[in-house]
Amino acid sequence: MDILVVLEDKNGRIHRMSLEAIAGAQQIGSECGLSIGILAFGKNASALGEQAKHYDVEEVLTLENEHLNDYTADGYADAVANVITSENPALVFFGHTYQIRDYAPRVSAKLKRPFLNDVVSYKNESGKPVFSKQAFNAKLIAELNPNSAGPILVSFQSASFSSDTIQSGSASLRSISIEIDASAIKTVPEDPFQEAAGGVDLSSAELIVSIGRGIGKEENIPLVQELANVMGAEIASSRPVVDSGWLPAHHQVGSSGQTVAPKLYLALGISGAIQHVVGMKGSKNIIVINKDPDAPLFELADYGVVGDVLEIIPKLTEALQ
Amino acid sequence: MDNFQFSSIEKIILTLSTLTCLGSFSYEVWRRFKIVLKGRESLPFDQFGKRCWRVVREVLFHEKVMGGRFWPGLMHGLVFWGFLVFGLITINHFATGFGVPLLSSSFHHAYSYFGIPFAILVLIGIIALAYRRFITRPKYLGKTSPTSGLVAVFIAILMLTYIFGEWDLSPLVWKINWWLHTSVILGFLWLVPRSKHLHLVLAPVNIFFKPFILPDHTPVEIDLEASEEELDNMLASLTKMTMNQALDVFSCVECGRCTEVCPANRGGGILDPKNHFMLDLRDPLMETGDVDVLAKLNVEAGWECTTCQACTDVCPVGNHVEKSDEIRRLEVLVEGKVPQEYQKLFNNLQESGNTEGAFSSPLADSLPRYNSEMEYVLWLGCFARYGLDPDFENSVRSFTKILDAAKVSYGVLEKEHCSGDPANRLGDKLTFSMLRGHNVKELGGAKKIVTLCPHCAVNLGSEYAKYGEINYKVEHHTQVIERLLNEGKIIVEKGEKGKVTFHDPCNLSRMMDEVDAPRKAITSVTNDFMELEESGRKTLCCGAGGGLWWKKETKGRTHLVRAEQVVESGADTVVTGCNFCYGMMKQGLGALTPDDRSAINVKDVADIVAENMITS
Amino acid sequence: MNICVLIKQVPGSEAQFNVSGDGSWIQETELPFEMNESDNYALEEALQIREQKGAGEVVIVSLGPDRSQKVIREALAKGADRAIHINADAPYNTDPYSIASTLANAVKDERFDLVLSGLQSEDLGFGQTGVILGEMLGMTTATLVVGTEVQEGKIKVKRELEAGWFQWQTMDLPASLAIQSGLNTPRYPSLKGIMTAKKKEIKKLNFVDICNVDELQSFAGLSVQHTEKQTEMIEGNIDQIVNRLVDVFKNEIRIN
Repeated sequence: MDILVVLEDKNGRIHRMSLEAIAGAQQIGSECGLSIGILAFGKNASALGEQAKHYDVEEVLTLENEHLNDYTADGYADAVANVITSENPALVFFGHTYQIRDYAPRVSAKLKRPFLNDVVSYKNESGKPVFSKQAFNAKLIAELNPNSAGPILVSFQSASFSSDTIQSGSASLRSISIEIDASAIKTVPEDPFQEAAGGVDLSSAELIVSIGRGIGKEENIPLVQELANVMGAEIASSRPVVDSGWLPAHHQVGSSGQTVAPKLYLALGISGAIQHVVGMKGSKNIIVINKDPDAPLFELADYGVVGDVLEIIPKLTEALQ
Repeated sequence: MDNFQFSSIEKIILTLSTLTCLGSFSYEVWRRFKIVLKGRESLPFDQFGKRCWRVVREVLFHEKVMGGRFWPGLMHGLVFWGFLVFGLITINHFATGFGVPLLSSSFHHAYSYFGIPFAILVLIGIIALAYRRFITRPKYLGKTSPTSGLVAVFIAILMLTYIFGEWDLSPLVWKINWWLHTSVILGFLWLVPRSKHLHLVLAPVNIFFKPFILPDHTPVEIDLEASEEELDNMLASLTKMTMNQALDVFSCVECGRCTEVCPANRGGGILDPKNHFMLDLRDPLMETGDVDVLAKLNVEAGWECTTCQACTDVCPVGNHVEKSDEIRRLEVLVEGKVPQEYQKLFNNLQESGNTEGAFSSPLADSLPRYNSEMEYVLWLGCFARYGLDPDFENSVRSFTKILDAAKVSYGVLEKEHCSGDPANRLGDKLTFSMLRGHNVKELGGAKKIVTLCPHCAVNLGSEYAKYGEINYKVEHHTQVIERLLNEGKIIVEKGEKGKVTFHDPCNLSRMMDEVDAPRKAITSVTNDFMELEESGRKTLCCGAGGGLWWKKETKGRTHLVRAEQVVESGADTVVTGCNFCYGMMKQGLGALTPDDRSAINVKDVADIVAENMITS
Repeated sequence: MNICVLIKQVPGSEAQFNVSGDGSWIQETELPFEMNESDNYALEEALQIREQKGAGEVVIVSLGPDRSQKVIREALAKGADRAIHINADAPYNTDPYSIASTLANAVKDERFDLVLSGLQSEDLGFGQTGVILGEMLGMTTATLVVGTEVQEGKIKVKRELEAGWFQWQTMDLPASLAIQSGLNTPRYPSLKGIMTAKKKEIKKLNFVDICNVDELQSFAGLSVQHTEKQTEMIEGNIDQIVNRLVDVFKNEIRIN
C-alpha cells in the first residue's frame, strides 16, 4: 500500500481521530492516486479490523501480540516500526492523539524517517501531498518538506478531516504477526483513572462556555452548567461575574484572569470589555450571544446572535442532547 | 489633711518595695532597649525641631489618637492628661512616705480643687474605655486583654484613693488609703514594661524617631560585582530589623487601627497588620534577644499588602507598620519563591524594560520627544504607555491639551523604562536597581518631571533618592494643573454636570502628602463636589498597589471595597488621580452599580479639567 | 541522580511575528525571548528530584544561537550545576531527528539517569526531540508527564491522557520524560543563584561540528495564518437560531 493508516483503539472501537485519518487518507489517496491500507493492532485488533474492513481501502492488517495488550511506548513503537519496515508504505497516517505523541517519535527514531506531526492541512503539488503544521503559538503556518522519499510519518490534528466523509466499501483482512522481545518492554503501566476536576485549567480546555453580566443573576448559572455538561465544555466568565461572587475566581478569563485559546469560545451575555478580550482573543472559533447589538465582542465573533441568552441556552442544551 | 508620720518600718518597707519595683521596671525597659540597640542603622535625630513639634502634636494634643477614633481618643485623652496632671502629686506622694513632702499642705489642698474634678474626668475616661473594651468589644481590639483590665482597675483605684485622700480621715484610714495608692503605683511600675502599657514610656520616644519619608524601608544595594562574602553579608542583613523597627514593636499598643484601615483586610483577605506586621515579631525579639527575626513574618499575608501605608499613617504611637517590603524582598532575593504571575512580570521588566514585555508604544510615538529645551519631561509610565487600560490614553491627551493651552513645553523620553515601582514594591530589588540605573541615565540633566502616575512619581523621587542623589524634581500632574489654574495660565468654567467625588490615590495623598491640588482642580469646574468617607490622607486604597494589579487570584475583594463606597456615595462621577485607581474604578464599578442606576463616570483630574477648559 | 534538562529559548508567547523575506523563518529583531514554558517546569522537576535524592548533577543542554546563553544562565541561577551550549546560528535546523541526534552526540560521554524536556517548544511545536533522544540513548520514554516518583533503578510517572484521564506507569531508568506544564511551581532565581551562576561552567560546542546526519524534514514556507474575521450573524426565531448553532457546532467547528 502507499498510505498506511495506523488505528488507535478506544475501548474496542476505532478512535475518532483514526477515523479522521482514514477519511484524510481516502481524500489524499484519490487526489494523488495512492492506495490505502489500515493497521489494527493491540488486544482489540480483530474487533477494530472488523470495523475497518467496511471502509473503502485496499486492505486491513490485524496484528496481535501479548506484548501489545497493554499500551507501552516500548511495545507499540517496536511493533509499528516493524510493520512499516515490512510493508514499506510511502506515507503512514495517524490521528495526533496523546498516544501518538508518546510513541510515534520513537518510530521515527528507529526508522530514521521524519515524523510530520500535528498537521492541519495539505496541498496537492503535482500528485504529491505537501503537509503544513502550525508554528509559533499557532500564529503561523509552516510547510513541512521531507527531504527524501518515504516512509514518511504524518499525524493529523483533530478535525483536519471529517470522519463524516469516510467512504464505505469492502477491504480484505490480513492477519500479520511479529516477534517482540520481552526484554524490549521496560515499562509497566497501571490502569488509567479519572481525576475529579480540581482548579480548572481553562488554558488547556478545548471548549469553553463563558458568561458575563448578561446572564442576569446567580440563579441562572445552573442553566449554563447544563449546557456546558452536554457540550463537554468548561465554564469561564468575565470579571464582573466573579466580582459579584457568582463564580470562584479561577473561572475568570481576562487580563487579570486566565488567558485561553480554545477551539470554541461561546460567550453568553459578555459585552467584550478590553480587559476580557485580551484573555480570549486567541480562541479559534468565537460565538457571541448578547442582547445588545452594539456589544463590542461581536467584532471578534465568527458567529453572532443578537438575542436573549436565557431563552437560547435551554433550547440549545436540549438540541445538543 | 495634715501629713501624718511614717514609722521607720514603714519607711524601710517603702524604700525596699520602691527600689524593687523601680529596679524591675528599669530592668525590663533596659532588656528591650538592648534589643533595640542591636538593630541596624541608628535612630534619627535630624530635623530635631520638627520631630519635637510632632511629639507635642501627637502626644500632648493627641492628634492621631483622637483623629482616628474621636470619642475613644478623647476618653483616652482624659486619662493621659490626668496622668500628666497627677505627676507632681505622685512624686509628692512618695516623698511624703519618706518624710520629706515636697509640697506644703496648703498647696496640696489648693491643688485639689483642680485635681479632684480632673480625677473625676479620668474616672469617666477609664470607665468609658473599659466599657468599650469589655462590653462593646470592637473586633479590632482582639482578644480580651487581662492587662487592660488590670490597668483599668489600677487607674480607678488611683483616682478614688486620691479623691478619698483629700477628705478628713482618721490617721489609720488615711494610712491605709495611702498604702493602697502606693501599692497600685508600684504595681503599675511592675506591669508597664511587661505589657503594651509600655507605650506610656515609649510612644513619645517612638513618635520622635518616626521617619518622615513614607514608606521607610532600608534600601537594598545590590552590587553584581560583589564577592560571595559581601553578598552573604548583605543577604544576612535582610532578616535584621532596624532600631526603629524594633522600637516600634515594643511601642505597639495593640489598638488595631492599622488592621481597621487595611484594604486587604477589609476586602476579606487574611492580612491583619496588627499581628502580621507587628505583634508576631514581639515574641521572637524577646526570645532570641536579637533583631534577626524578619524571616518569622507570615509570607502569605505579606503578598496581600497593597503597600498603601494606611496602617503606618494611622498608628497613634508612630509605628511604621507596613512590612511587606521586608517580607517580599526575602522571598524574592533569598528564597526565590515568587508567585508565577510576578515571575512573568519580573521577566518582562528585565527583558523589555516595561511590565508588558512590549517593544513599542504608539502613544509615546505620537507625543513630542523630550529635548533639553523643554520645560518638562512628561513621564508616561507603563500603564499609559502600553495601554493597561486603553481608555486612559484619553486622560494623557487631556493633560497634554492642558499643557498645550498653557504653552508649557514637554516631551517624552524615548527610552523610558518602567520607574520600577512594581519590582520595588514586590521585593525584586535587583530588577529595580537595573531599571533605576537605566532611567537615571536616560533622564540625564533633566530638571523637571511631570507624570500622571503617582507610583512613578514616588519611585522617581523619594525612592530613587534613597540610593543616590537625584537632580530633578518630580511633580504629579494635578500639582502642575493646580499651579496653572492659580497662575491663570488655563481658564476653566464650572461646566461639569452631576455630583462629583474624588478618590484620593494612596501614593498621592499619603506618600506625596498631596490632597489639595486635585481638589483645587475639581472645585474649579463644579460646585457639586462631595467627599467620600475616608478621603484625603485617610483614603482607602483602590487595591491595585504593591503589584496587586498583576495578581491573578485575589482571595478577597480588596479591589471592590473602595468601588462599593463610591457606588454608595451616590456620586455620578468619580475623579481619580492615578491610572491604577482609574483602571480599578472602571473594572469595579461595573459589577457593583445596580441595574436601575446609570453607569458612574470615571474620569481623571486631567479629563475633568480639559473638558471644562475655555480655550481662547 | 544525574539529570539532563533540555532547554530552548523561544520568542515570547505574546509577540507579533513577521515572516522573514524568504519565508524560512521569522524576523528576530525586536522580539522578546524567553525560556520555553514547559522547559521551565522540566527544570523545576529536575531540581526537585535532585533535592529529594540529595546528590547528583543537573546539567542543562541547550541548542540555539548566542542569545540562548540568557536562558542557560537563568537555569543555572535557579540551581542547575553546569551547562552545554550547542551554538547554532540561522538558518536553523528545524528537524527534530537531526537535532536529537546532535544532542545525543553532545552528551555521549555523560551518564544521565534522566533526561527531562518540555513537552513541546512554542516555536516549532514538534514535541519529539526528547523522545527521539531517549530512543537514541536507549532510554525508556514518556510524554505528557504530570507527576514523577523516583524509585530504586526505576521511575514511576503519571501521564496525562485525554479528557481528564491519567495513568501511572513504572519505567526502567534511564528514562527520557517530556514534562507537561503545571505539574509543579517553578522557582525564581534567588540573588545568590544569579550571582553564582556567572561562575558555573557552560561548555560550548558548535552545531555544525557535531551534527552528522542529514535533515529528515525542514520548514519550507512560513506564512501568517489567515484569520479574516467575517462575522456571520445568525438570525431568525429561537428555533432557527438554535438549529443553526447546532449545525455550526457539528459541521463547521466540529465538536462532538
